[in-house]
Formats: sequence, structure tokens, C-alpha cells
Amino acid sequence: MRIVAVTACPTGIAHTYMAAARLEKIAKHFGHEIKVETQGAMGIENKLTESDIRQAQIAIFAVDIEVEGRERFNGVKVIQVALQEALKNPEGIFRKIQV
Amino acid sequence: MSPELSSTSLQFAFVCPLSAGMHARPASQFAGVANNFVSECVLTNLRNRRDANAKSVLSVISADIRHGDRCLVQVSGMDEQPAHTALRRFVEEALPSCDVPLAGSSTQTRNSVPRVLQAAGVSCYFGSSASPGIAHGKVVVVSAMSLPKGLTTETVTDPDEELKRIKLAIAAVRERIREKLTHSSSPLGEAVLQADLAMANDVLLDEKLAEQVSKGKSAGHAVLETGEFFIDLLRHSESEYVRERASDVEEISVQLLDEIYGVDLQKTVLPLEEPSIVVAETLGPQQLLALDRRWLKAIVLEYSGASSHALILARSHGIPTVVGVKNARLTLLPGLEVLVDANRGLVVPQFPAAVQRFYEREQKTLERQQEFLADDPGAPAITRDGKTLEVAANASSAEELRLAFENGADAIGLFRTEMNFLERDRPPSEEEQFAIYAQAARLSAGRPVIIRTLDVGGDKTAEYLNLPSEDNPFLGYRGVRIYGDHRELLQTQLQAILRASAHGRIQIMVPMISSLEEVLQCKAEIAKAKEHLQLQKIPFQPDIPIGIMVEVPSAAFILDQLCAEVDFFSIGTNDLAQYFLAVDRDNPKVAGLSNVLHPGFLRFLKRIVDEIHAAGKWVGMCGEMASDARYLPLLLGLGLDEISVSAVKIPELKRAVPQLSTADCKSLFTRVIARREIGEIDRLLASAQRLPSAQPLLNEELILLDSDSRNKEEAMQELVDSVYIAGRTQDRQQLEEALWAREAVYSTGLGFGFATPHCKTDAVTANSVGVLRFREPIDWGSVDSEPVRMIIFIAMREPQIANGHMQVFSTLARKLMNEDFREQLLAIEDSHNMMRYLGEELNISVC
Repeated sequence: MRIVAVTACPTGIAHTYMAAARLEKIAKHFGHEIKVETQGAMGIENKLTESDIRQAQIAIFAVDIEVEGRERFNGVKVIQVALQEALKNPEGIFRKIQV
Repeated sequence: MSPELSSTSLQFAFVCPLSAGMHARPASQFAGVANNFVSECVLTNLRNRRDANAKSVLSVISADIRHGDRCLVQVSGMDEQPAHTALRRFVEEALPSCDVPLAGSSTQTRNSVPRVLQAAGVSCYFGSSASPGIAHGKVVVVSAMSLPKGLTTETVTDPDEELKRIKLAIAAVRERIREKLTHSSSPLGEAVLQADLAMANDVLLDEKLAEQVSKGKSAGHAVLETGEFFIDLLRHSESEYVRERASDVEEISVQLLDEIYGVDLQKTVLPLEEPSIVVAETLGPQQLLALDRRWLKAIVLEYSGASSHALILARSHGIPTVVGVKNARLTLLPGLEVLVDANRGLVVPQFPAAVQRFYEREQKTLERQQEFLADDPGAPAITRDGKTLEVAANASSAEELRLAFENGADAIGLFRTEMNFLERDRPPSEEEQFAIYAQAARLSAGRPVIIRTLDVGGDKTAEYLNLPSEDNPFLGYRGVRIYGDHRELLQTQLQAILRASAHGRIQIMVPMISSLEEVLQCKAEIAKAKEHLQLQKIPFQPDIPIGIMVEVPSAAFILDQLCAEVDFFSIGTNDLAQYFLAVDRDNPKVAGLSNVLHPGFLRFLKRIVDEIHAAGKWVGMCGEMASDARYLPLLLGLGLDEISVSAVKIPELKRAVPQLSTADCKSLFTRVIARREIGEIDRLLASAQRLPSAQPLLNEELILLDSDSRNKEEAMQELVDSVYIAGRTQDRQQLEEALWAREAVYSTGLGFGFATPHCKTDAVTANSVGVLRFREPIDWGSVDSEPVRMIIFIAMREPQIANGHMQVFSTLARKLMNEDFREQLLAIEDSHNMMRYLGEELNISVC
């Protein structure tokens, strides 16, 4: 499965990047292809392009704050979880997707 | 109407409608009504069954009537009917509106308490720090009420005579209050005076005084004992409002004692016999000097100003002092064991194990921070752009001088001499003074020592000088102004200073100069002293530099003329601000206005420095303003040649100078003086003064691999302390709060036994990464509920998000998700290897 994801936390120093790393690792484990955009203190990095989003079957938002450029994801199935969920139980997120 | 109100006899009940209870003002009005009648009036608090004589304010207050208490009023006597009606009408109509809160009583700033202390559940008393340090001891309350020296055992020959003295005193005090009442312009001030008046009229007070006299006590003794009786009674009340009334009783008692013995009551010397915390409303410099310094561990004052002479003395003697502690004398009872944390402005009255542990760790933190600061104390303080600022010390004794040089002082910018003149019967001899000044010169080992000639007057007096008692001593006979009448004294001092100048680099400075004539007269006296020494063939430095204090505004407007006559200047900001802003710094009502950040004052300073420099002369600053690291960017912006501060401040200031550039500071100063309000200036300064430093992300002080912290609070405190020891924060409280604010969103415990507390805050001077590894795992509220073995913390400066450090932080965050990385972090044995490993993994240079 092709997945896009966005991570964003309140201070944007640590958890945004930890969650991104975690999602990347677990996705690989499940055999998915994933690209994670981080919205942290450095601004948007690894930005999802229009074609990234178009080609994805699902978008995961692991965020504690509003996603910047949410309208980019119109037409894509989005599941949104608290950022902590991506640290606590990332497997659970991917299992939910597979159902 | 409640059933009790349908009275069968001459009584009625009511429920106290006052949110603050029956405090002095309503009580005085109540008693006022009752006193219009001859009938006996009894007020009973039905909650605690206390009966009060309704005609006595003290008695009514002592019944401790609080909001919602049911009370009964019973009236009996000749005029019981009209008395009953009048009291009932008062209770129903006037009483509910007796409760206007006193203005200006709730301006207390709430300090925040470290989390470890909060978690320990101790309730602290708050004030603000006037002299840093931490000390522990038993409370000794300095009462304003005391008998004159030697009169503690007065013999009474005629009790009637004593009673008469008391009656006269009471009449005079009443008269004085009435007099004040006619001039009172605010209704609240009036209400307070009315309450005082009622207290002075109180029948219970009369009775108690008469009782004491009948026991053979003198008038003064009777007042003292009666005052103490009521103060004790009120102080033990459960209501804060009632406890506060104890100070009213004290006030009246002091006034009565003043009447009986005359106003210039000589305060008795308070003997201290064990480690003591002296608690007082306020302290004069004489009172402070009279205290036994072996046992004086700390001072707690109710008074809230920060620059009185007593406080300057406390600082120079290194006595921890907290000021502005509301009702300190009422809450800190004599004999109570307390800890004074004058660094944080706290008084801690309880010592559970967690608090003791906190302060043991705090002690180590402060010691390590001092060691870190004292790395190379003697090195000059040079700004990033190469300007040297001389950081000198204020001192008044050999001990202070030694401490100053240990701490890295470049010079002695102010050597005060008056301390040797106070607290004695005659002035020190020339020999005695020479010994002191010559020792100062020798201890300074070639570094300059600016000796200030005698500066007495104001609140510093010595009996043999016969200085008159003045209504307004700060505008009176002080400093250079007394020299004309005490030429011999001045000659003695000048000769002693000149003789000492043969032993080191001594300079002479004259205080309180307001005119050119004063300078010329002093120079003539110096010339005379030189001539005398020459005749005696006694060596001295012939071209000894002569300077003046700039502390009277008029001097600042004749600087062109003064520059032609003297070699150097030192700005005394305490007096200069007081005179310039028309604020009595010892008057708590206006002391808040004495703000050196007033844009007018800053412009004034700029004008002074520029004009002196234009004439090619040297100018320093020796007032309190120079001691505050917050103001350092402004002082560099002003272009001062030197700052002279208390010895303990030197390491901090010397370390701060190299972090700053004069160009930045000059532009900051220009922006600051263009601001219209002090608040804006404060904010601008707060953001600018934490200018970023060039420190690397990581240094060894930030890596602690054997932490004995036992819980999250202690761990957070420890990491904050490590940042402090590394010289990366001056505001531990703000850093701690920023970290906890992030934890409040959700725990930074990321699982796997790791946590990453982090924050963005200006409280750090440099972006920092640190490590804490625990001996025993700690609960962190982690996502996987596992205790934490190690924390990696990140503290980032707010405006610097866009630099390369953020890249490092995100790399670090990502790596923490990697098991191998975590295993390595747990396995590395020492901090040096930890530094190297992190440096490699994060691709950063470590020092």
C-alpha cells in the first residue's frame, strides 16, 4: 500500500520527528511504502507533493495541532490519530488501515 | 427574618455578613455605636461561644467573628431600649457596607516555587530577594516596641503619677490621630485612622493598662506589657484579618511609648544567642550593625524597598535577605525554625525529608556553579567586539576586599570609609585609618583603589558628630556638606588616605558633590593635607587622582566645569535616581517609582557619560544598578569605563561581558530610550539581555550519567541545575516552568525507558542538549507506562529555530527511535565517551 503521513506536535522539536521515524519503520515492517511530511519547528520538511498524495491510498495524520495545507488531501481517505498514538502503538494504526 | 431576631428580651441575633469577618474597621464602628450608651453591651459569637464587650474594639476583634458566624447582642442598663435599637439598626443597615477592601494591599508578586518543593507540599512565605544566599535558623522578631536603653527596670514611686503619664500619652496619641483625620483625603485612609482611634479609645486597653500600673509597673512597662498581651492574643487568631490587627496594636503602643519617652526612642540591642533569622518590619543601618553577626544568618523584612542602606550593608556582608514578606512578624513566630532562600525570595517553615534533600542538592549546585564561574576569575572582561569593561568591587573592609579579588575584581571602585566611623564614641585616629587604607592598598597589589571620603548623614549617623535630627535627612546635612563644620575630621582622613597612597594605587573620591565650590574647597583641603605631610617628610603619591561621585543632579549640569577640576567620576545610581525621580527610596509607598529604567533617567545617564567622555575623563558606576546583570547590556550601551559592584556579583558579570558586543548594546540602548513606558523597556531588555552566546550544543557539565534523582521533579530540577552550572541560564525558574509546561501537554516519556523533556525558551543563553542517566529508574508517565532510565533533554532559544541546531534536534529525535542508538546510550560508561559518541552521531563538534 502507498501511504502518505503528516506528523506535527506543539513544540515541533522532538515528537514530530520521533513519530515520523516510527511510522517509517513500522510501515516498512508491514510492507507498505510511506512518505512522511514533518511539520515542526523547521517548518514543513519532506513535503508531500500533489502526485505523492494522488498516488496514495490513505493519509495518516499523527498530529496534536492543525495540519497545514489540509485541503491538499481532499479526495484522499484520511485517518487522524493523536501524535502519541504513533509512538505508543504504531502497529495498531497500520492494522486499522489493513481492515 | 430569623426566629432569633424576634427578641424576647433586649437582645438580637445576626449573621456576620462581612466576607473578611469582623475586622478592625467594622469592629471600631460597632464599638463606636455601643459607646454612645451607658448600658452594658455584650456581643457573643455563637460559633465559638466567645463573649465580647461590644464597647471594646479589641474585645470584639478577639471574638474572631468570621463570615457567616451567628452572633448574639445583649443589652442591659439604663438606656437599653435606645441602645438596642441603635445597635440593631447599625447591624442591619451599616454593617454590610463596612467591608470595602483596603486598596494597595494585594500587590504581592507571587513567586513560583520549585516543583520539588511544591510536590513536598510545603507552604512557603513569599518576598523578594534583596541579598542572595540561603540560611537556616530560629526566628527572632525585632519589635518596633521597646523601652529605652537602661530603662528596663524603672522604679515606680507613685502609681497615680504613672497612670497620669499614660492618660496624657493616650490623649496625645488620640489628638495626633484626629489631627491626621482632618487632613485625610481618602475615605479608606480615614477608615484606617478611625480604627486606630477606636483602638486608642478602647476601654479594654484602658483597663489592662490600669491593671498593669496597679501591679507596680511604670507607664512604659505597662504599655509594653499591655501591647504584648493584645498582640499575642490577636496573633494566635485563626483569621488572617484578625492577626493583621496585631500590627495596629503595635503601632498604637509604639506611639504611646514615643509619647512617654520622647520620639527619639533609643532601640535596645537585641542579643542573638544561636543561629538566628531576624524578622522585622524594617531595619535601620545602626540596628543592623548592632546585631551580633556571628549568629545573624538571614534577615526577613516586611518592608519592600530594595535599596535602603541597611540592605546595602546586608549585601556587602553577604547576609541573605528577603524583603516584602507580608505580615512576616505575625506569621513567623519567635523561636520557629525556618529556612530563608534569599535566592528565590522564599521563607520555608517546614522541613520534610524532600525539602532537606532539595536544599542539600541546591547547596552542591551553587558550589559547582561558583567553581565553574571562577575558572579564570582574574581575566579581564572583554566584549565580543574587543572593548574591556573594568569590573571593580565595592568594599568597606579587608575581608570584603579579599573576597572581591578572589572573585576576580579588577579594582576597588568604591571603598567606603564611614563604617569605621559608626557605632563608636569618637572618630578613628589617623593611625587607625592609615592602617586600614594602607592594608587595602597592599591587598590590592597594584590594582586601583578608590577611597571615598566620609559619607555620613542620611540614615548613617554617629553621635560624636552631633548631626541634627532632620525631617528629611536625604536632602539634608550629609556627605561633603558636613566637611565645613568638621575640618579637623576631614584633615585626619585625608592625611591617612594620602599616607596610604605611598603603598598602592589609591584615588580619592568625594561624595554628594552638588556644586563647583564644594570641589574647590575639597581640593584646597587635599592640598593642605599634602603640604602638612610634605613638611613632615612623610611619603605620599603627589599626583593622586581626585574624583567625585555623581549623585546630585545639579552636578550633572556643570560637568564641563567639574571636568576641568577633577580626574574621574563615579555615578552613584541609588541617590541619583532618588533625587532625579523625586522618590524617597525608603518610603514603601513610592519606592516602586524609583525605577532606574525610567527613560528620563536613562537619557540623563547617557548625557552624563557622553559629556564626561567628551572632556576625555573617566567615568564609572558604583550604584546598585551596576550590580544587576539584567542591566549590563544597557551599561555597555552607555559606554561606561567601569562598573563597581558587590563582590559576590563579580563572577557572574565578568562572564556575561564576553557574551555581549558593544555595538549591539549601543543600538539596544538607543531603542530603549526611545520607548515611552518602563514596561516596554523591561520587555525589550528581557528579550535583548539574553543575547545568544557562541557556546556549543553540548558540554560535559550537561552530561550526568550517575544521577541519584528519585522522581520526575528532582530529575527536572537536576537538569535545570546542570544548565545553570554550565552558565547557560540565569533564570532556572523560567527554564523549569517551560519544561513542565511541555510535560503538561503530554509526557515526554517516549517509551523504551527514555524521555525527552524539551522546551523553547529565552531562559537559556545557548541551545543545549544534555543527558541524565538514573541509578534507579523513575516514573515519567511514559506512553508504555515503563519507568525511565535515561533522559535526553533539549533546550532551545526561541528566536533561533531556523538555524542548523534544529537539524541536530530532529536527527536526535529520529535516532531515539532506533534501538541500537538507545542501547549505546545506556551502555556508554563515562561522560567523555558520551560526548564523543553524541558528537559523531549527531555530526556536531563538541568541545
